[in-house]
Amino acid sequence: MNNKLRAYMDELFSDAPVNRKTVELKEEMLRNLTDKYNDLITEGKTEEAAYNIAVASVGDISSLLEELNRDKNTLSSYDNTPEKRKHALLTAISVSLYILAIIPIFILQDERGLIAMFAIAAVATAIIIYSSMTKPRYEKLDETLVEDFKAWKAQSTESNELYKAITSLLWTATTVIYIVVSFKTGAWHITWLIFLIASAVGAVIKAVFDLLKKK
Amino acid sequence: MSIAADLIRGHTDTIILAQLLGGDSYGYKINKAIFEHTDNSYELKEATLYTAFRRLEEAGFINSYWGDENTGARRRYYTITQSGRTEYKRLKSEWESAKTIIDGLINLGSEQKLQNDFGKDEEQ
Repeated sequence: MNNKLRAYMDELFSDAPVNRKTVELKEEMLRNLTDKYNDLITEGKTEEAAYNIAVASVGDISSLLEELNRDKNTLSSYDNTPEKRKHALLTAISVSLYILAIIPIFILQDERGLIAMFAIAAVATAIIIYSSMTKPRYEKLDETLVEDFKAWKAQSTESNELYKAITSLLWTATTVIYIVVSFKTGAWHITWLIFLIASAVGAVIKAVFDLLKKK
Repeated sequence: MSIAADLIRGHTDTIILAQLLGGDSYGYKINKAIFEHTDNSYELKEATLYTAFRRLEEAGFINSYWGDENTGARRRYYTITQSGRTEYKRLKSEWESAKTIIDGLINLGSEQKLQNDFGKDEEQ
């Protein structure tokens, strides 16, 4: 008989969005309905009569369902807002800075060029970090699993962007250092070790990020 | 019959708050209390009751929590908040003044002079 009441509630809520609110409301109403049903049985009603009385007492739940659906329909979009355009601009600036960072080396042909390159790369990295830190976090619109997933994804993308920025800087810098050192010293047979060192540094950075992510 | 039923439905919030003043409770228990206090004549539709719970909770007049029953499914309990108590007093005094107004209007007929005035108003 309990199953019959549950089936009735399932039918009643068939149009409601599947989220925590709906499930909880259904559970609450079913529990109270079952209590009522059991009391009616205790009073000596037949199962059939008790079921009919309990079901009749539910009434019109359309306003409750409306409320559940209203929460679903308040979608807001982050796309195409001034915020989004600002972040696109910041990313574009930092990427072009990374590309331009090599120019001082060709022009100055010495340590000053190298210093200028790192300075420009540092500025570009700072811009990327600023951009990703000020980005609005994805806020859950309702309690569905899809929203949970989106929020989780947004969070992991945020730290991924920083990681990508640092590693791309690492490998660009490594290549430049390799070329500069090799030309200056002429020790081509040994300078390739710089890449092994860079790879070790990359592994350390990844480990640090994984540790931070777990926290 | 229908006047009382309408009035009860119209004061769902006040009735729920009044019930919760006596301690935390849940949907069926509140409805059963209404049933018993009205000589087994009236009870709220579940839909009305739960819509009121949501509305009161959203307004911050009540809070809800899940009980941990040993047997069977969980039960959601409601508890009244401080602002809920204030709201209860406000609703209660509003009802008291409404009652006085309605009584005054309904008892007009017992006074002959006023009845005549009332009759004139009707004709116009």
